[in-house]
Amino acid sequence: RPGTDRDREREREREPAMMSGRPGLRSSVRAVGPGFAGSNCCLSPQSCSPGRAGPRRPSEAALLPGELVVSESSNVRKCIATDTCAHDLYGTLLCTNFKISFLTNNVTPFQKCQYRNLLLAEHDVALTCVEQVVAVNDAKKKRKVLGPTQHLKFKPTELIIYCKDFRIIRFRFDESDPESARKICLVIAHYSQPKDLRLLFGFAFAREQSQDSADGVNGPDSGWQTPLFETYSDWDREIKRTGASEWRVSSVNENYTTSTSLPEYFVVPSSLADEDLKQLAPSFNGARIPMWCWHHWTGCALVRMANIKPGMQLRKHDRRILQAIAQSHPEKSGVFKSDLDKSLPRVLEVQAALVRLKQLCIHDSFEETEEKWLSSLENTRWLEYVRLFLKHSAELTQWMYNKNISVILQEEEGRDLSCVVASVMQLMLDPHFRTTRGFQSLVQKEWVAAGHRFLDRCNHLGHSDKEECPLFLLFLDCVWQLLQQFPAAFEFTETYLTVLYDSTRISLFGTFLFNSHHQKVQQSQDLASNGSLQCEGKCLKLPPVWNWSLQFTDKDLTLFNNPLYIGKSVTCVQNGTIKSFKRPKKNISSCFCSVYTVKNGRLSNQPDFFTRKNSTTQRPSRDLELNESLDQYVERCFRDWFSKPLDLHGLILPYMGSPHTRLWRQCYLRWIPEAQITNGGFISAFHQISLLADNIETLQSRLRQYHHPLLTGSPHVNKPRMYFRNEDFGEAGMPDCFSSSFPYSPIGNLCRRSILGTPLGKFLLTAARMWPSTETLANED
Amino acid sequence: MEHIITPKVEYVKLLDRFTSKKPTLGTLYLTATHLIFVESSTDIRKETWILHHHISTLEKLPLTSAGCPLLIHCKNFRVAHFVITRERDCHDVYSSLLRLSQPVEYEELYAFSYNPKQKEMDRGIGWKMINIREEFQRMGVPNVHWEQTDVNENYETCNTYSSSLYVPREATKPTIVGSSKFRSKGRFPVLSYFFKANNAAICRCSQPLSGFSTRCVEDEQMLQAINSSNPDSSVVYVVDTRPKLNAMANRAAGKGYENEDNYSNIRFQFVGIENIHVMRNSLQKLLEVCELKTPSMSDFLTGLENSGWLRHIKAVMDAGFFISKAVAEENASVLVHCSDGWDRTVQVCSLAGLLLDSYYRTIKGFMVLIEKEWISMGHKFSQRCGHRDSDPKEISPVFTQFIECIWHLMEQFPCSFEFNETYLLEIHDHIYSCQFGNFIGNSQKERQELKIQERTHSLWPFLLEKQYQYRNPLYKPSAINTVLKPNTAPFNFRFWCGMYNRFDRGMQPKQSVLESLQAAMKQKTELEETVEDLNQKPLHPDESHFTLNLPTKLSNEEHSPQTEVLGATQDSTEEHKGPLANGMQELVETISDGTEERENILDSSLMHQSASNHSDSLTLNKLNTQGDEEQLEICPNKDEK
Repeated sequence: RPGTDRDREREREREPAMMSGRPGLRSSVRAVGPGFAGSNCCLSPQSCSPGRAGPRRPSEAALLPGELVVSESSNVRKCIATDTCAHDLYGTLLCTNFKISFLTNNVTPFQKCQYRNLLLAEHDVALTCVEQVVAVNDAKKKRKVLGPTQHLKFKPTELIIYCKDFRIIRFRFDESDPESARKICLVIAHYSQPKDLRLLFGFAFAREQSQDSADGVNGPDSGWQTPLFETYSDWDREIKRTGASEWRVSSVNENYTTSTSLPEYFVVPSSLADEDLKQLAPSFNGARIPMWCWHHWTGCALVRMANIKPGMQLRKHDRRILQAIAQSHPEKSGVFKSDLDKSLPRVLEVQAALVRLKQLCIHDSFEETEEKWLSSLENTRWLEYVRLFLKHSAELTQWMYNKNISVILQEEEGRDLSCVVASVMQLMLDPHFRTTRGFQSLVQKEWVAAGHRFLDRCNHLGHSDKEECPLFLLFLDCVWQLLQQFPAAFEFTETYLTVLYDSTRISLFGTFLFNSHHQKVQQSQDLASNGSLQCEGKCLKLPPVWNWSLQFTDKDLTLFNNPLYIGKSVTCVQNGTIKSFKRPKKNISSCFCSVYTVKNGRLSNQPDFFTRKNSTTQRPSRDLELNESLDQYVERCFRDWFSKPLDLHGLILPYMGSPHTRLWRQCYLRWIPEAQITNGGFISAFHQISLLADNIETLQSRLRQYHHPLLTGSPHVNKPRMYFRNEDFGEAGMPDCFSSSFPYSPIGNLCRRSILGTPLGKFLLTAARMWPSTETLANED
Repeated sequence: MEHIITPKVEYVKLLDRFTSKKPTLGTLYLTATHLIFVESSTDIRKETWILHHHISTLEKLPLTSAGCPLLIHCKNFRVAHFVITRERDCHDVYSSLLRLSQPVEYEELYAFSYNPKQKEMDRGIGWKMINIREEFQRMGVPNVHWEQTDVNENYETCNTYSSSLYVPREATKPTIVGSSKFRSKGRFPVLSYFFKANNAAICRCSQPLSGFSTRCVEDEQMLQAINSSNPDSSVVYVVDTRPKLNAMANRAAGKGYENEDNYSNIRFQFVGIENIHVMRNSLQKLLEVCELKTPSMSDFLTGLENSGWLRHIKAVMDAGFFISKAVAEENASVLVHCSDGWDRTVQVCSLAGLLLDSYYRTIKGFMVLIEKEWISMGHKFSQRCGHRDSDPKEISPVFTQFIECIWHLMEQFPCSFEFNETYLLEIHDHIYSCQFGNFIGNSQKERQELKIQERTHSLWPFLLEKQYQYRNPLYKPSAINTVLKPNTAPFNFRFWCGMYNRFDRGMQPKQSVLESLQAAMKQKTELEETVEDLNQKPLHPDESHFTLNLPTKLSNEEHSPQTEVLGATQDSTEEHKGPLANGMQELVETISDGTEERENILDSSLMHQSASNHSDSLTLNKLNTQGDEEQLEICPNKDEK
């Protein structure tokens, strides 16, 4: 391991003292000299006026509190196309403890507008977004995938960074100092694969924050008031919102005494006392007692649980739990248990699908596979998996929606597939979750609080390759498919989903950094006991991702608003009042319970499951025909639903037919220059619809102004909701800057051909081919 | 009528193609022009009409316990699966349809009996609606370089071309005639599109009769004339739209392609679009994929790929894009041909024109384009569509492919077209329906002989009358002409559900943005008129009260007598089904800040329905006021009074 890195490390430890007392959230730091960054001087924003920058010096890197430049190399060339260097940019390559940054005075050629992220500038890549770092020396024909602590014997002429968001960035060091080039390659590799969670930037940031008196993180707009489901009251409010009167919030896991992966508070059947839960907990994997997700107004509930450990008491405990869940149904009408491990692809398969999709989108889709695009797409299996998850979720909703039967999602640990299924089901069933705020609460409830292992699944540290799995992306893809089919049902846009996906790769936010909330608390406590961090309460103040103003300006945030959204107020949520709902008549014997599961594609009923109650052997409900195959039954339900007029505030079911499952262009193809449609794509329609919506909005505010001149002062009324507004464009019409990648611009990212369309370069055919294989080429040793 | 044996069959079942739903029961009627299925059990009378001319294949499947199944495949991709109880009836229907769907004589076609009760004069005017000469004038032809020629006035030089053709001024009559003798079917190079901005032109012709080494001075002169008509460029692109192999095979038959050495300053290029037989088979495979019952993702994608259909569409698109790039970016003129110059050449030339010229992306302009490139230049509609019982090998979905290319462009550029998907489907339907005379026959000459203009009606005025249905609400006309630059990477081509699964209700999106926007746009226009009327009336105190209170009503959402002022429009909104009307109402709702009133509407679905109809008209006022801002300006003044 190079000594330089150890120095860096030490410097990082020292740094907080130097940096303390700095005002504001953001500051600018000027790197002093090439290759020497650790002791950079820290200037206040006023002192780095633009006039001080030399003519060849690129502008200063904007640094966040706690962010330090660890290495720097000047006169680096960023390659734009593989076959020509005509468009290359010259500048300084920096690596901080948060990002890789490229500072240049050159203007990116053909650059049109780009959505500006306040944390990451045009050429920046967050370290957690780096998938692979490859150093190349073309004279010696050497290439090496750099691990966290490797040596580099050759002088790199080229550095290729493969990003998790499908970008490929290539730098050349022909004109730069070879030593600084070698150093920065190693530094980038080292910092993008930290050995410990606490080396992620969020911790450095939080450390700064805790010393800052002015707390910018939990300000008034903190997370758009998204409930985090870390407190008793968040869960309580959710119970009341859905009207789940037979369920209660349990604090049995306070201080994580019962399970380290469950949240401190969660919802359980009222009939189970905390003592019962304590007794039952050890028999579940990870002590994950069944956890309530959602409640349908007719009385059935959605519950997720881990498998019960095999053993003597399996059956007994299983029965106990199922009975309790059934008891919490006003009609005591039985439960349907779905074993997700048996019906859905495994974690490894999902990961392999994404790897293949990435390979296809980046490398193969253009010249070579022109003829075979469709079958290549098929081979990735990604769309098939997306469809399977949607289909399974849609089928399960039928049990609740049509049959009023509670559904239990069962999975080995209950922290992976059930996150996707539970959240997709709730999106289909409950319009509240289709609002932006509701959606955020859903992610918080079913993913973050429920203990989805984000740290491992996102592979933030770069060494849990076997654990890596893009389940969250799969979920977002499912949401996108729904959004495609119901463009007016969601308050947010696809850009919101894409931004959310990207935000999982920004280590500043605490939301997607940990495997469980317990881990976050644990880490904070460890740091606190080291004395390196004082945290008030028991937890680190990492900003939640929902704090969107950290990333975007107010104007840019309006791009999250769907102009087609058919809104309905969500007043029932805030006041904590119980929503009134009609109780269906109790016309079924209340002592009857049965459990349904699927066996060989047919529904199997276990009426004798509850041994005490097997005296009642009547059919559970009139229209459940057990001799009908499950597929037929579900198909019948779908057909009924499709034949009814659409109610966007009720259940929405997507078509699961193959032609309707599509590739999410914005997410997967936005960084690929060749995939752009200039002046076209969905964005041009979006633009038009936004203008119409804005038109109406403006008129309404004028009408209001006329009738209630006193009300107009309130900012709430006057805040424009649309990103595209008539006043911005006037008569000139659509700005010229649109491409189908909007709001992203693939220009500036590596493309195979030069942007002007000259013949195919050879570079990617050889060099980039290997990606994303993780095998290290041992050319060097 | 003489072919109809049994005009009415009762207790016929119509099976659903994709679901195992219970079949619908009804009565089957056979008329001279249509097969009509009337559902018996429903409260609302539901009818399925199938035009005999739309029937492409008929199959009598083996007898089952339920009866005798009759499977009908239509040219517009409807598939109807009937089960008729008595085999006898089934056979009668089958044999009648077999005869009716394959007319022998042109005179049997629907157009010759279709009578929309229109005045004779209007019919004549309808035929004159589109004038090719005017279209060339719009392009700026004739001009110093191009002129109209009378060489084909009586179809003497080329009997498949129209009589009015445009050629380079430099080309003399002997050159033209000489060139036509050197071209397959006499189809010599003529002007297809002239790009005003830089004098570059797209010309079209058929393959040269070059064989292995034959030359023709006049043909070489002809190409030279085309070259010199564009002083800005020194070369002419000659685009052979066939695969190289096919073109080479033709050489053996004394046909072939231009030899670059014999012509001065040409750049020769193959683009590789397959022939009509490959296309026909490809479509067949595509339709097989469509008929898969609940295909897995894998079956679907592999089937789609193996059909090759999207690859062929891409080839056409690529060729069109290539030509438009040559014209717009390289200022070069292009000469396009295939074998006879009436299939691939038309597809490619019309596509290139549409990419280059925004006029062809309007409702009227698209008609002109079809009339100019397809109808007048001798695309063999009757043969390609199989209007009459003729050689099945001549049938090919050439026009369908063109329409699909336009759809793909609409997907890529949703705001660049004045028309929408419905317009494309409507035109596609009428290519086969033979309800109008436009597409009957294989050339202008043939149509003249059939006296089409005297005996039938034209489709275009009929479409223009209903044009509000075909408008794309997102259309944004731009003052300057924009050249479209589509992306032709393979992932931009996807299966067109709206065409191939159009009649399968379970395959269409549950919610269509375009539809709801369209309804709103239409209603907005209507209301603009209403308000215009109101504005023109002298203002009585009552009415001014109405105008003043309108906005208040918007936020209160309550029934009040004032809505009756808008009674007329309310009627029209009631025609719309829930989702449509709701769609727009709620779009506006969303934007409004009032939240409490929305709760009221949604209390019960029944209430919702009625409330939405009511508030719809209010919504329209909101929209309307947006269109007519004067309304707003007036309000305060009146208040003062």
